[in-house]
Amino acid sequence: MSKTSGSSGGITRRGFLKATGVSAGALGLAGVASMTSADGWLAPAKAIAEPEERKAIICHQFHCLSSCGLECTVRDGRMVLVEPMELEDGTRGQVCLRGITEVQHTYTADRLQTPLKRVGERGEGKFVQISWDEAIKTVADAIKDCRAKYGEDSFFYRKSTEASVAHNYEFLASLLKADTGGRWGLDRGQANGSDPSGLTSGGLCLNSIYDWKNAATVVHLGSNLMESAMTWTPAFFEAKKNGTHMITVDFRYSPTVQKSHEWLAVTPGTDTALILGSINHILANKWYDEEFMKAHTSMPYLINKATGEIMGKMAVKIDPEVNEPVVDPETGETLEVKVPMVWDAATNAARYLDEAGIVPALEGTYNVDGVDVVTQFDLLKEQMAEFTPQWAAEVTGLTADQITSFADRYANAGPAIISYGFGGPDKYANADILGHSTSVLAAITGNSGKPGTGIGFYGIGGAKAGAEAIKFWEMPEEFVPGDSPVAMYDMPYEDNNIHCAFTFGDAFTLESGSANNMLDWVKTLDFFAICDIYHSSAVDYADIVLPACSKFESAEDVSDVRTGAIAPYVYLNQKVIDPLFEAKEDIEIERLIAAEFGLDKYMPQSNEELAKFMLSEPEGNMAGMTYEALKENGAMKLLDSDEIITGADAVPDQQYSTDTGRIELYYEDLLEHDLAFPQYETPQECYRENPKANDYPLMFVQGKSRYRIHAYYSASTWFQEYFGPVVNIHPKDAEARGIAMDDDVRIWNDRGEFVCRALINESVMPGTLFMAETTYNHYYPEGFLQNVTNAYRQERCYPMIFGPQIPYNDTLVEMKKA
Amino acid sequence: MTRLAQVINLENCIGCQTCVHSCKMQNNVPMGLTWNRVLSDGEDVLDGASGVFPNLSRTYLPVACQHCQNASCQRVCPTGATYRDDEGRVLVDYSKCIGCRMCMAACPYNARVFNWHEPVRDPDFNYGGKDVPVRPKGVVEKCTLCKERAAEGKEPMCVQNCPTKARTYGDLDDPNSEASKLVREHKAYVLLEEQGNNPSLHYFD
Amino acid sequence: MELLKRNKVLTGVLVLLVAAGIGCWIYQLVAGLTVTGMNNGTSWGLYITSFMFFVGLSAGGLIVASSASVFHIEKYKTVALPAVILSTVCICLAGMFVLIDLGNIQNIWRLIIGPNPTSPLLWDVVVITVYLVINILYLVNMHKGNDRTVSILSRFALPTAILVHSVTAWIFGLQISMEGWYSAILAPIFVASAMDSGLGLLLITLVALNSLKIFETPKKLISSLAGLMATCIAIDAFFIFCELLTMAYPGTAGGSIILSELFAGQTAPFFWIEVIVGLIAPFVILVFAKNRENTKLVVISSACVMLGVFFKRIWLLLTSFITPDVMGAPGIISGSSSAAHSTGLDVFAVLSSYAPTAIEIFVVLGVVSLGVLAFIWLTSKLVVEDAKPASTSESSPAQADGARA
Repeated sequence: MSKTSGSSGGITRRGFLKATGVSAGALGLAGVASMTSADGWLAPAKAIAEPEERKAIICHQFHCLSSCGLECTVRDGRMVLVEPMELEDGTRGQVCLRGITEVQHTYTADRLQTPLKRVGERGEGKFVQISWDEAIKTVADAIKDCRAKYGEDSFFYRKSTEASVAHNYEFLASLLKADTGGRWGLDRGQANGSDPSGLTSGGLCLNSIYDWKNAATVVHLGSNLMESAMTWTPAFFEAKKNGTHMITVDFRYSPTVQKSHEWLAVTPGTDTALILGSINHILANKWYDEEFMKAHTSMPYLINKATGEIMGKMAVKIDPEVNEPVVDPETGETLEVKVPMVWDAATNAARYLDEAGIVPALEGTYNVDGVDVVTQFDLLKEQMAEFTPQWAAEVTGLTADQITSFADRYANAGPAIISYGFGGPDKYANADILGHSTSVLAAITGNSGKPGTGIGFYGIGGAKAGAEAIKFWEMPEEFVPGDSPVAMYDMPYEDNNIHCAFTFGDAFTLESGSANNMLDWVKTLDFFAICDIYHSSAVDYADIVLPACSKFESAEDVSDVRTGAIAPYVYLNQKVIDPLFEAKEDIEIERLIAAEFGLDKYMPQSNEELAKFMLSEPEGNMAGMTYEALKENGAMKLLDSDEIITGADAVPDQQYSTDTGRIELYYEDLLEHDLAFPQYETPQECYRENPKANDYPLMFVQGKSRYRIHAYYSASTWFQEYFGPVVNIHPKDAEARGIAMDDDVRIWNDRGEFVCRALINESVMPGTLFMAETTYNHYYPEGFLQNVTNAYRQERCYPMIFGPQIPYNDTLVEMKKA
Repeated sequence: MTRLAQVINLENCIGCQTCVHSCKMQNNVPMGLTWNRVLSDGEDVLDGASGVFPNLSRTYLPVACQHCQNASCQRVCPTGATYRDDEGRVLVDYSKCIGCRMCMAACPYNARVFNWHEPVRDPDFNYGGKDVPVRPKGVVEKCTLCKERAAEGKEPMCVQNCPTKARTYGDLDDPNSEASKLVREHKAYVLLEEQGNNPSLHYFD
Repeated sequence: MELLKRNKVLTGVLVLLVAAGIGCWIYQLVAGLTVTGMNNGTSWGLYITSFMFFVGLSAGGLIVASSASVFHIEKYKTVALPAVILSTVCICLAGMFVLIDLGNIQNIWRLIIGPNPTSPLLWDVVVITVYLVINILYLVNMHKGNDRTVSILSRFALPTAILVHSVTAWIFGLQISMEGWYSAILAPIFVASAMDSGLGLLLITLVALNSLKIFETPKKLISSLAGLMATCIAIDAFFIFCELLTMAYPGTAGGSIILSELFAGQTAPFFWIEVIVGLIAPFVILVFAKNRENTKLVVISSACVMLGVFFKRIWLLLTSFITPDVMGAPGIISGSSSAAHSTGLDVFAVLSSYAPTAIEIFVVLGVVSLGVLAFIWLTSKLVVEDAKPASTSESSPAQADGARA
């Protein structure tokens, strides 16, 4: 058995061709051998008389949420072209450089090629090749040992989009009742604060991105569509052409800023101050929408001045759809909700909101049965009084004029939308307050439930409706994942019973901050196996490494059923190429391990079986989309999917998903934190007044790059000519530290350090550093960026819907020439 | 006459480099070479900016062969390897190229690249259109407006794949073509007009 | 052959250098021009610099020799033979540099079956060929003592010599894409610098032959030629000044970029050395008649002029490549593995740069060594052996016949 180095540097391209050719032959994988033999690859195309060419359709990157339909051309068994799929109207769909680069990236030298077993220390990256049989047995035995020793909940299992094809399913998690690491802690920073208002769902907008053209103003709040989601940008340009005023809030001169009319360059982590300052200015100038607030928001509710509680009575919660009480599925008890009290202007008395014929007063201080009460709106005005535009200007670094003119435009110019990004202001410990304050801003100006209004993440939602009839594979009821009481990102810090882990993709360094802490904890595990397509950062820490197929590879004719986001299609992904090297599809790997436990019978035995099941009742907008029809076409368009969802469609009759059906803006459960209404709070670490800033004066912000989806595409050699681990530095900060263009720089704080290349340019705010998210660690001269990121867990967020979010950007560092 | 061209809307160019990689893929362009670039115009860093923070500007400028009607590269080529075809494209007959690189010196757009060594491909097989000729060591190559795709009635790959539809392909000699209309309506301009190469590629903001 | 045998050490060294050069060239043929420092940004380098330089060097000799006939300057006639030998050797070297620079030399026959009449490179190939033929005919006829034929040939030789340098200049001077090249005065500059550097080489050669007692040149003639060289230096300097002033005066962005590189940028050392060492110093020395009679000073001045002109070729060629007309990041992709790192971000450069590799330097040294060997051999054959009683005039009757026809 030949020894391979764990780091990519160990195997030259030529070397691995030879090696895999031999080992594939030895294993009798004829298909693999034909793909990987040097003769086959290196033969000039002209030598082949008439190349056999075919096309295959797949739904590609669901990780960036674009899910582009791609038409892949395969010649002599190799993927040679990737193009956007032809749509029903004869035009082509969308693709971006990430789809195109797969022609290289799929075959790249940094692919994991064979199962590997660790022979060095964890993190050292020394491995030997092993057979699949040995690998599967080792993994299964380790899981068995662990469960026997510590119990079922000691096994942590997570699939991820980075390395999985059928990532909607976590078969092993259910079959082995594994811990799945609880909450993800990703992307839902603002959602924690805006979901309770009813204005967002999981932080996502309720309407479609194509509703932007109906807006007078779209505010891109830390969102950078032009780099993160190129395929969505037509909605931006369509709206801009239609007269929509584009404002981008970003500390960096991003390509989205470049294409916007207006740029608000706020200091990182201070976005909330901009919103609060605007709320203050709108309230002071009475630019709010009184009727909207009265009719559709919690603003008229009466608050007990002494306790801060909403005045009201408890009543049985009724499901409006069936008009029956809602029962807690776990306890079996009927649920209760609070019916708030308002001041009825008609009768000049306090009444409950569910009473008929009341006209709620928006303002006023009253006495109800000896209790001093005030309307939410009056309380809001009182609490917002301190957040003047001048104050906001000082905090954000903007001018007061910029803030007042922003408030003016948002409130008065017509319908307005606030578009969140995933990966900017949401990655601070104060992000929940940003979501909350954004909800308040939208609600008081009536920017909801109408065309061209709304807030949230606009990454999904081109179609009228999603696929209505894709069935989910069923397993016996007993097979459900474990309770997963501790979030994965909390595991290094909170007591837990995890002793054995198996992840698809690099969950440990991508889905947590402060990688040193996380990897130190990983080193304490009895066993860690990783299944990945590429040699990602966590691979070197694994005991067993399993090579996964990319989305283009399948051992069968079909791989996976998917729905597109950008084009309203259902896909039955066709095999583009055979599995490369010794890679296997993730579902196949799950099946092999399940078999070791005798549980594989509960899984689909083939992609075909799973797909047939998922498509067995094609109804509604999927009528006619049978397995056979989809297999033939690769993709079919959802019926009635051409209309877009406007803000009005999104909230029919202004009925929100809250208990009261109104936009809730006063969060009673945050009273103990004095955050029932939003207040300004600095980020946990990343603010100038922080004493820590004396040692670590630079704000370290990461964001999206067109060359990456998180760490994915690090291994694309086509991209490597344009992009790598680089940090953008303002010329002043570089000069102060004697750093020149293209120098290697060392960036560090009390959590760790790394070295990368310096790009000096004016695009970033002085005092900040900007870097695209991660990149596999072996492409850095030393360390990698997750070594410095903040792993703080915001205590008040534990009871919130999405829990504490990882505040990657809430990070201060210092830098010097390496 | 036919004058195939592209008209590029710089307002819609977001610098995403999709066209750059689409071109590389379709035309089997080896590592270390490119037929198509999207420049951050005048910047020394990709995605850099001009001015002083926060008063900044940036223009993404896609640059490939401009398919000049008065092509300096064609004029200086000693063997006629570089020629203009009936469709107005400037093309290279690789079998005639002696590798003198006179055309590279003459092209003001740096649109041409040279095979300084045997092409190195990653992945190391021929990808892209099956009719795209493989270029040997020692010859010059550049954008062909995807003539092999044009032969099948298709647009160039960069045009087809542009996420923002910033590129329009068509015949400037046909007044009714979309490309001609854009040139008229937007008073589209050419790069380095003062050099008199009379490029077919047009730009507007 | 006598001279080659007499100087065994020198011959040995030269042969070794030629062998090394050939080896490097074969390596270059196999691996491609990637072994040079050239890249997609700076697509011409030391070979083309040397080409320009040697075309120029070949001028001095033939112009001196042919002026002797055309204008009946009798005193020049005495040095016509070594002058034409120099000229012939230099033009051969120049031609070799062009061929060595080709990436696809096996396609060279395409020049003959499909020439493009608008290509200055083609003009140059034609003119250099004609020039070479004239040089050879000149040599043969001089050797045979056909004074009348020589006199007729000289009437063609002089304009051809001027033309060959002009056409070489036009390869560069007609390219509107290159701010530092595109200039009507480039051809006159090339002729002037060809004259001064060519005379420099001729003077050094004559002094060397003198001291080796191979060929005697009257001291007065040396001074006279040095005076002519001083005049050419002045003209060269004047033309260069005209060019720079014209470039600088409008204050255009393009002109400023070139001038800032010349004055304080990448090519500044070459520019300033040319101006100071190549133009001012030799002129100041040779402007005094007394100095012109000092052989040492003449030789030093000649060497200075040659160095200056070589550096002029370098800055002229390279400066215009540095900043692309359409500039912006990521810049130009190198394409050459030795010009930059073969992978990663470094394949691109916003501003182009170039440095010759050892391979290029060895190839150039090899070619120059071959030239020196050829010169020694021809001198040995035509000058030394000629001086002996037994004439070798029957050596090539066929060529002589051809010349008469």
